[in-house]
Amino acid sequence: MPVLEALEVSIRFGGVQALSAVDFRVDELEIVGILGPNGAGKTTFFNCVSGFYRPDTGRIFMHGQDVTDLRPDQRAQLGLGRTFQQVGLVRSFTVLENLVVAQHKSTRYNVLAGMVGAPASLREEKVLRARAMEVLDFMGLAHLHDSPIGGLPYGTLKMVETAAVLATNPEVLMLDEPLAGTGPEEGLAYCQRLKDMRRELGISIVMIEHHVPLVLGTADYVYVLNFGALLAQGDPDEIRDNEAVAEAYMGEGATSLA
Amino acid sequence: MADTVLADGALELEPAPEPDAPFRPTPRGMAARIAVLAALLALILAVPQLVPAVYVNIVTKAAVYGLVALSLNILLGYAGQVSLGHSAFFGVGAFGAGYALTKMQLPWGAALLMAALTGAVAAVVLGAIALRLRAVYFALVTISYGFVAQETLFNIRSLTGGGAGQPAPRPSLFHTDVRYAYLCIGVLAVAMLFDWRLTASRGGRAIQALRDDERVAASWGIDVTGYKILAFVISGMMAGIAGALFASIEQVVTPADFGFALSLTFVLATVVGGAGNRWGVVQGGVLFAVLPTLIDRAHANFHIWPFTSISITLEPAVEALLLILTLIFFPGGIAQQQRNLLSWLSFKRFRQPETGGGPARGGMGARP
Repeated sequence: MPVLEALEVSIRFGGVQALSAVDFRVDELEIVGILGPNGAGKTTFFNCVSGFYRPDTGRIFMHGQDVTDLRPDQRAQLGLGRTFQQVGLVRSFTVLENLVVAQHKSTRYNVLAGMVGAPASLREEKVLRARAMEVLDFMGLAHLHDSPIGGLPYGTLKMVETAAVLATNPEVLMLDEPLAGTGPEEGLAYCQRLKDMRRELGISIVMIEHHVPLVLGTADYVYVLNFGALLAQGDPDEIRDNEAVAEAYMGEGATSLA
Repeated sequence: MADTVLADGALELEPAPEPDAPFRPTPRGMAARIAVLAALLALILAVPQLVPAVYVNIVTKAAVYGLVALSLNILLGYAGQVSLGHSAFFGVGAFGAGYALTKMQLPWGAALLMAALTGAVAAVVLGAIALRLRAVYFALVTISYGFVAQETLFNIRSLTGGGAGQPAPRPSLFHTDVRYAYLCIGVLAVAMLFDWRLTASRGGRAIQALRDDERVAASWGIDVTGYKILAFVISGMMAGIAGALFASIEQVVTPADFGFALSLTFVLATVVGGAGNRWGVVQGGVLFAVLPTLIDRAHANFHIWPFTSISITLEPAVEALLLILTLIFFPGGIAQQQRNLLSWLSFKRFRQPETGGGPARGGMGARP
């Protein structure tokens, strides 16, 4: 059974058909890439899947459960984690604090118990901090734990954002342009880390990214969107040699992305 | 043991510890901080005894305003919701307590609980509206909410006693002015402890996260609607309790006490104190509680300009001036001015590292 599945998802904004009948599936431990030119509907699709937009038609399933009518936070509770194109972090918090809030759904103590400082809540707070440090360590960001978000460069923020979503303990990690603002070497290291995550944490990953070679080198399966519709799908080799995809990216006459 | 103490002492010579190690004050620094904190505590506890008897009730009022500022801070500072109708929650609490004490003959503790409940209910009604409106429109609704409460609810004679007011006697154990002042300071202290645990636990963090970005909060599994309502409930309860304490200062409350001007004073006190910072907003509340008296005394005692021209009627103008000066020079309010001091007193370094966020870090987003 797929971890995440979208069936014929369509959404319209005024006169623009932003998505038309997009089918999509992510299996366990799979890394799925989503490619497409600007305005192709990639982020709109993310918003439909994570619950920020309600598709006009079509359904979204997680582990076979229909989640189309659930709110974003309810889908997050079910194990959906996502990042945002404009860095999704709490700006007035430090890096570590962000990762502590991000663990909201796996925090067990009662909200009221926390407010009165019940011993169990104080104990768990320590665990949350330790876990946040672990995730930061895994992402190679431990030295930044005390930094306020406000002072960090964009590329670093995208890494912190990924760390924060990881801290939510997701089953599916959806990354919206995680490599924006990072250099080529950092990009390679990041993609290697995604593979480590998949193996060590047993999660599935969906990634929107403009850096085509990195996506083709990392993903097991790739979807290509253009003008809100699926242009192509397949494993990276098929996509690399797909003429329609090459045309959409590089213009008339191109036959291969390679 | 003696060896480690010596070793700690020797560390004092090396000013910079390794960058990643959390900062710990030296034994001497520790002693200095404890001494200053103890002195401040002693000073605060001595105030009701030190001031002339006629001013004791103003000290009590200062503690109550501190509590209101703390309550408003939960909406304004933590949840990012402007409430210009806070006098409604405050008034509802005051009349709720008065009604419970006088009409229902309940003990004082039960009346306080009643005030907390009525305050929370009043806030939840407003919170339900807040979920449907954005910034400016919501601010407008909160203003009307305050007016509506004053014009309708507070004019129900059987609830509020009409123009004569609703009597709200003090608890027998705290009947004198000085004792009652200590009671209110005690409640304020408990509220600050509560506020500290709130911001250090999941509920308060979720509320602050949704202030910064509702979408991000939701993507982390935080129920945005639920936590917004929670912020209103907590804020309303605190304001209700503050109202009950206020009612028993003069031991009678009248509807005229809770106008729009009071709501505005609360907002100004919170902003001038430094929304988002509990130490700042409490000082803001205290400052605005004593401001009329300060102006009056200055006018009476100093025979030089500007004190000769600033009389008590100009209090709103002074408040407005304080707000403008704050917004221009210290958007983070009193808390921003005391940033280094507050940091030092909370057992951290005196000088805060530059945050890159500039003054804004001390503003709406800052926490102690």
